[in-house]
Amino acid sequence: MRVRSHKLVLAAGLIALISVACGQLSSSPPAWTVAEVEVLRSLWLDSLSDLPADRSNAVADNPVAAGFGRQLFFDARLSANGGISCATCHQAERGFTDGLQKAQAIGTTARHTPSIVGAAYSPWQFWDGRRDSQWAQALAPLEDPNEHAIDRGQVVALVAEDADYRASYESLFGALPDLPISDPLALNMAFANIGKSIAAFERTIMPTASRFDAYVEAVVNNDIDHQATLFSDDEVWGLRLFIGEANCTQCHNGPLLTNHEFHNTGVISFPGDVPDKARIAGVAEVMESEFSCRSSYSDDPDHYCPELDFARTGLDLIGAFKTPSLRNLENTEPFMHKGQLATIAEVLVHYNQAPDAMIGHNEAKPLGLSDRELGQLEAFLATLASAPSF
Amino acid sequence: MIARQFVSYLLIFCFVAFLPVQNATAHGGVVEEDDLCVIKVNYLRAHFKVYQPSAAGHEQYCEDLPVAAESIFVMEYQHDSLSTMPIDFRIIRDVTGKGRFARIEDVDAIDDLEDATVYYQPPVVEPHIYTVNYEFLEEGGFIGIVSATHPETGKIYAAVFPFEVGFTGLGYWPFIIGLLLLIQFQYLLMSGRLRRWFGKEPVVAASLLVCVLLVTPAAFAESPIVTYTTPDGTPVINHMHSWILHIKDENGLGIEGAIVDVDGGMPEHNHGLPTKPRVTAELGGGDYRLEGMRFHMSGYWEIVVTITTDSGKSTVTIPIRL
Repeated sequence: MRVRSHKLVLAAGLIALISVACGQLSSSPPAWTVAEVEVLRSLWLDSLSDLPADRSNAVADNPVAAGFGRQLFFDARLSANGGISCATCHQAERGFTDGLQKAQAIGTTARHTPSIVGAAYSPWQFWDGRRDSQWAQALAPLEDPNEHAIDRGQVVALVAEDADYRASYESLFGALPDLPISDPLALNMAFANIGKSIAAFERTIMPTASRFDAYVEAVVNNDIDHQATLFSDDEVWGLRLFIGEANCTQCHNGPLLTNHEFHNTGVISFPGDVPDKARIAGVAEVMESEFSCRSSYSDDPDHYCPELDFARTGLDLIGAFKTPSLRNLENTEPFMHKGQLATIAEVLVHYNQAPDAMIGHNEAKPLGLSDRELGQLEAFLATLASAPSF
Repeated sequence: MIARQFVSYLLIFCFVAFLPVQNATAHGGVVEEDDLCVIKVNYLRAHFKVYQPSAAGHEQYCEDLPVAAESIFVMEYQHDSLSTMPIDFRIIRDVTGKGRFARIEDVDAIDDLEDATVYYQPPVVEPHIYTVNYEFLEEGGFIGIVSATHPETGKIYAAVFPFEVGFTGLGYWPFIIGLLLLIQFQYLLMSGRLRRWFGKEPVVAASLLVCVLLVTPAAFAESPIVTYTTPDGTPVINHMHSWILHIKDENGLGIEGAIVDVDGGMPEHNHGLPTKPRVTAELGGGDYRLEGMRFHMSGYWEIVVTITTDSGKSTVTIPIRL
């Protein structure tokens, strides 16, 4: 009898403990502090500054160029087999990615298709920043044997021989030289102009306000009732982790949730590949690139190129890839530079563990978050879903 | 007695610390130093590690590999000249019969190297870091051969490292041999046969101290005082901006004509600045224009300003919390 009563007391105590613990876990998050509200405001899409001017591209903000560029972007004639356009890999319905680990066009490319949403805000293009403008970026896949696999002569000829394209081109840039163009500088200039038109379209591909942005608006307005209708407790806890303990905003900061910089986060190599050197090779390439800000194909007479002038080099950049935006991750898996991680849950586990990098040094440190906390982070990230506009 | 014990331990320490180094300089190979796996291609060194990502994720190996699987060999150069040298990488089946004692002479003696070769990466110049990926199809003894060709003299430097794939624990042998050697050393010392070492240590220590003092560069008597202003307004994350550095001596007088170098980073994150800012103009009165500044994260940053003048060199760290 005495034994039984002890057991009863023990059981009651356990139940009390468990209920306290559960109460703790499911309790409502505390109100945001003034400092936290400022952090949230900094991530809000409304805080996004005006599109930075591209001094190297005179038609960057020209609607005619954007319309011409849009046609080119979706035109599969710009490829060796007539079946590959920019949109083959940059699919709007997948957040301008393709759902594959490595991109598949004429061949298989070296890396995963990055999203191009909001890319006009980045000083660097590609995962390793090997181009310094959107127009220079747009030219590279056209001539890549694994992507469009054509050459600049074919690109310019296509534009010259299509009456609509020729009219658009000539209204923007003046008369096209007669075909075939024997002067390489004239050919390069025409090729660069076509890239500038594609870039003018790509500049218009922008993220749109998500449920997260509505929530921040409610926070900024101190509208607590509205906050509760927009975010579940788990999503709020996830957001707290995102701007706090999980250290996400060290790199994923600003309204686009990226700092546009390069970081080694110790992602495992792709099967069959050696570890990717990334930015340390990319920065060497951009300095020498044919269509850089410093080239004669830039429209800036001053050749003002602070990004190139002050670009960082050095061993820190081994294995460092550009921070991608976290806006609208929905339907954009797999993730990382070669699509090594299939889901957001896998990405979160990776950052929670922060393993040693195979080459260079992993800048991230292990987080020690629980599975429940990782789930809350994942729930928060889903609130950033919102189809891009273009 | 206590002094003798101390020296005996000191000797053991020196012995343990330098034994592998001497081994390796005799014939280039892979050794473990301070928990770091190092490949020595003659006098050229690189941090060496092997991964089996498909079998063991981020697990790191030095030489021996647990299973026959995709294996990635990584050499992170500790010597810049490797960045300019064509390097080739060969893996052969161990046909020397020497196992882990195989040396370059044994490899040179192989009649048909091609026949024994399972993987060959022809010479290639790889800046900073060298990687190869080979999928082992069978377990057994192998020998890795790394050759670097000096771009000017044409001299070939080589490292040979025998290793096992699917190894079962033979890796303890070097440890046991080392332990036996240590016991022998201890005995020799404690028995007094190595007493002649007494008296040498203070001389060595004193000459080392003199050496250190001699090579330490001249420094400012007092550190300069460095402050800054930001003419573009408070720094905003991810926006390039410029600073004006105000560099004064201990009496508050501007230091003119200095060479000013700027670096920095986030010590807590072990990374540098996103850009490579530099002083682009001296404005007089100890003011210098610093361009190309950008911070890409909030948190604790340090900007390290190195000031060199005729009277010496000094480094001042400016802490910033964004």
